[in-house]
Amino acid sequence: MGRMPTLGILYAILLYSSTSFAAEADFANNVVSFLRTHCVGCHGGDEAEGGVALDHYRDSANVQKDYGRWEKILRLINAHQMPPADEPQPTSGELIAVSAAIEAELGKFDCTAEKHPGRVTIQRLNRAEYNNTIRDLVGLDLRLADDFPSDDVGNGFDNIGGVLTIPPILLEQYLAAATVIADRVFENEDARKQVFPHKPDSDDQRVETARRNVSEFAARAFRRPLTDDEKERLFGIMRFAWQRDASEADIFKTVIAAVLSNPHFLFRIEQDADSDEQDGIRSLNGFELASRLSYFLWSSMPDQRLFDLAAAGDLNYPDTLASEAKRMLADPKSVALVDNFAGQWLQLRDVSRLMPDPTKFPDFDGNLRTAMRRETELFVAAMIRENRSVLEFLDADFTYVNERLAKHYGMADVVGDEFQKVHLADGRRGVLTHASILMLTSNPTRTSPVKRGKWILDNFLAQPPPPPPADVPELEEGNETLGSLREQMEQHRANESCAACHRTMDALGFGLENFDAIGAWRENDGKFRVDSSGELPGGRKFQGASDLMQILAEEQKDSFCRCLAEKLLTYALGRGLGSYDRCTVKDCLTTMKEHEYRFSSLVTAIVTSDPFTMRELEREE
Amino acid sequence: MSIHQSRISRRTVLRGLGVSLALPMMDSLAPRALAASSTPAAPQRMAFMFVPNGVHLPDWTPKQQGFGFDLPHILQPLAAVQDDLMVISGLTHDKGRANGDGAGDHARSASVFLTGAQPRKTAGESIRSGVSVDQVAAQTAGKATRFSSLELGCESGRSAGNCDSGYSCAYSSNVSWSSEATPVAKETNPRLVFQRLFGDGKTPGTDASAAKRDELKKSILDFISEDARRLQSKLGGDDKQKLDEYLSGVREVERRIQRTDNEPKFSVDVDYPIPKGTPDEYGEHIRLMCDMMVLAFQTDRTRIATFMLADAGSNRSYRHINVADGHHDLSHHRGDVEKHAKIREINRFHVAQVAYFLQKLKATPDGDGNLLDNSMICYGSAISDGDRHNNENLPVLLAGHGGGQIDSGRHIHVRKETPMCNLFMSMLDHFGTPVDFVGDSTGRLSELTI
Repeated sequence: MGRMPTLGILYAILLYSSTSFAAEADFANNVVSFLRTHCVGCHGGDEAEGGVALDHYRDSANVQKDYGRWEKILRLINAHQMPPADEPQPTSGELIAVSAAIEAELGKFDCTAEKHPGRVTIQRLNRAEYNNTIRDLVGLDLRLADDFPSDDVGNGFDNIGGVLTIPPILLEQYLAAATVIADRVFENEDARKQVFPHKPDSDDQRVETARRNVSEFAARAFRRPLTDDEKERLFGIMRFAWQRDASEADIFKTVIAAVLSNPHFLFRIEQDADSDEQDGIRSLNGFELASRLSYFLWSSMPDQRLFDLAAAGDLNYPDTLASEAKRMLADPKSVALVDNFAGQWLQLRDVSRLMPDPTKFPDFDGNLRTAMRRETELFVAAMIRENRSVLEFLDADFTYVNERLAKHYGMADVVGDEFQKVHLADGRRGVLTHASILMLTSNPTRTSPVKRGKWILDNFLAQPPPPPPADVPELEEGNETLGSLREQMEQHRANESCAACHRTMDALGFGLENFDAIGAWRENDGKFRVDSSGELPGGRKFQGASDLMQILAEEQKDSFCRCLAEKLLTYALGRGLGSYDRCTVKDCLTTMKEHEYRFSSLVTAIVTSDPFTMRELEREE
Repeated sequence: MSIHQSRISRRTVLRGLGVSLALPMMDSLAPRALAASSTPAAPQRMAFMFVPNGVHLPDWTPKQQGFGFDLPHILQPLAAVQDDLMVISGLTHDKGRANGDGAGDHARSASVFLTGAQPRKTAGESIRSGVSVDQVAAQTAGKATRFSSLELGCESGRSAGNCDSGYSCAYSSNVSWSSEATPVAKETNPRLVFQRLFGDGKTPGTDASAAKRDELKKSILDFISEDARRLQSKLGGDDKQKLDEYLSGVREVERRIQRTDNEPKFSVDVDYPIPKGTPDEYGEHIRLMCDMMVLAFQTDRTRIATFMLADAGSNRSYRHINVADGHHDLSHHRGDVEKHAKIREINRFHVAQVAYFLQKLKATPDGDGNLLDNSMICYGSAISDGDRHNNENLPVLLAGHGGGQIDSGRHIHVRKETPMCNLFMSMLDHFGTPVDFVGDSTGRLSELTI
């Protein structure tokens, strides 16, 4: 089955690779010599293994045509899948150099040459979306989906169409929930009015009014106008119930349940282009765009204004999309972005399942845990609401604390459970020094500089380190690792195959060593004094977290913005990113730069992009 | 037939509302006096239990083979049921190995556990594994019961971030797959499991209004499946697959409504408190889920179950047995003796919960014997050593007698690289649902009988 080649593990550094930690290199020096040494022995000549011949790449990677192949090569060598384990292996240094060089080649891809908006597998509503949609559809905040099985995560998020399946148990629960909702609507006068707003003036109009109510309700539930045939079928099910002598209430409940357990409600359907349409690409219609906007920014169905704009055909104008996105971000419903996007990007949802060792951290309790998560949520909410520069994720000198968290941070003068905005003391800057993230990236018993460093590379700088080679040597017996954690790690790094990646990971992680495994400030780790200085690849030295954050905000801003753009685009689309999406990411970066890195500029760039506004037929490769 | 409080011993913490459940009179089919001559063979049950991160094999593998082996430290909690189980050493899940797919052993270990299939390495689009052994059985034999199978777990999957090296979290958090593209989600809340199995405990109504409600319900099912079919004809690619899943869910519910029509009349009460929800204490959680499996088997709600004690790569800490470190962190022990000691305590803790389950099955009368006699309970991990992530010589237990078809009470060592799926082939034979192959099976496991 054909599909767009997916992003390689290190698609990461495709753009602006000179600003990443990886070294810059050129094609002939690095790539060609690597291919000659490690690849063309099998992948060369007429009998090339797997039909993949690499010996004709002599001075250019020819990315415009062969981008898919190069992404695959990049992915395989970074995952240590090629060359095969029984062949001589490149050194870590060679790997890093050749990756950077291939990435540089891929960065030369000309985005204006063709359009490929990609294709989203139809998405069923996930639990948050189901809850919010019901809330906005019938006016009752029932949260029935809290009891549904959890949604599987793909590409870091739980709204990925390809991963959201419907096992039988879920269908059962959809049916049960639909019945419960129908009952509740009838018990609640306000909800009843919202679902069935029209009242008959006379008995003669009863049937006509019922039809009108039902088809309007179904149109809102399906998030688009109904066809005449669909209306007839809905009346058919009512007629059936009526013929069985069902009460009026039962007739309406039956039709509500039929709508709420319907695939048109449970899935966000988008029609494919006709195969004879140009390039198999179609622009989404207004109703499809309304749903894309509302599920992206609100995790819920469109409101009446979006429906009206869709009906009038206005949503197809980029200016309208942009202004609607701004309006929606200002709406309280945009808290969904905090819960569902930031909750997953920053993994705040996992804070509740961490169990720090109570003997090591006797002060840790449920209130502190809750406060940790709340701090970061409030921070993200402020970024969105106040449309601040996203670089403040790295270097903000303010945060939100209540008394419990202030005590944890060693701040005086904050009293009570309410959170308030406070200025940070010198040691802390930005989200990476929030207790939530610091705890998420620690072991239950101690800090893990490696986990912290890897987390930053994965989630903030879009430079995920490759997995460790399969045959990591055991620490030698008798060669006891002694000394501070830092000294132990440095002994570990004496092994060059580990050091290549650990140098960066560990440097970032050690910069945060003044924070213990639950994010409290410390000067000492046990009997050892904490040394939070370090040196990043390229020789940039820093002293402690604040210094490190300032360097990241200045020198890694492109990497950070690209990382955020990739994550938010993945979330907005509900699919993993493919080759051509690099063009959209590039556009996002340009727009952000032009608008002082404001959060809304990123959202605007996404909602007006090709992948967000168009749909492409599945392509055969 | 009656399950008494004392037999399914409930801990006080779970003292809840006792409900009277109407049970089908399975025993009533065979009045006591005639039991010896006319008892129909009791149905077979099967369950599969998954643990993550491998085990500390030196304290798992018995030193002797055959009958009468000494239980190693990890297996000691099983003393009371040693004669009812078999320790099987030497099985392999080759498709859990990288085989060119690179890192991601944990994700593979769950997805391969019951499928024996190499999962497609993808973080999002087009997840693919294989049909799992429980679903192979369920698709043939599941129609005999109200629920074709039951999927349970204690962890609800990761809610954020990446699970394992480029594999979607679906691979890490499911062991049961009904098609190569559809993992069967598990239920983690014992209260919801109970309510799904037994409703609110009320005997289903049989009056005219109930019949009318069923009729309306069926009209809804007709309506939505017609809509799904129309929609499916207009969609392409993976979208069609999603509607397939939807439609098979509808069929499953339809089948259940029809079954209710024909189900035997309810007569005898069972006392079991509705679980209040997910307990804080992990052992309690596991044991409650085991209770749900026992109840489901006993009442013939289903005959097939899977249970993930934890998700693949779980980093849960086990503070109640004084292990504060995360399980996954620990499993990368690098030969550290202290870590080994902690790992084996975690392993033993899990096994102690299995022992609870097996003893409960054994204490529950069934046919001429007990439930354990008529069950096959497979417990194990698809990673052998958590540090090396190797997939050969897996830790596997097979408990129960499979209706007398298995010569239990032994430790057997099968030939190197024997596929774990060969065990599944034999289990499917004994279950009465033989197939030509499952996953990467190459034959049967003749060693199950002497």
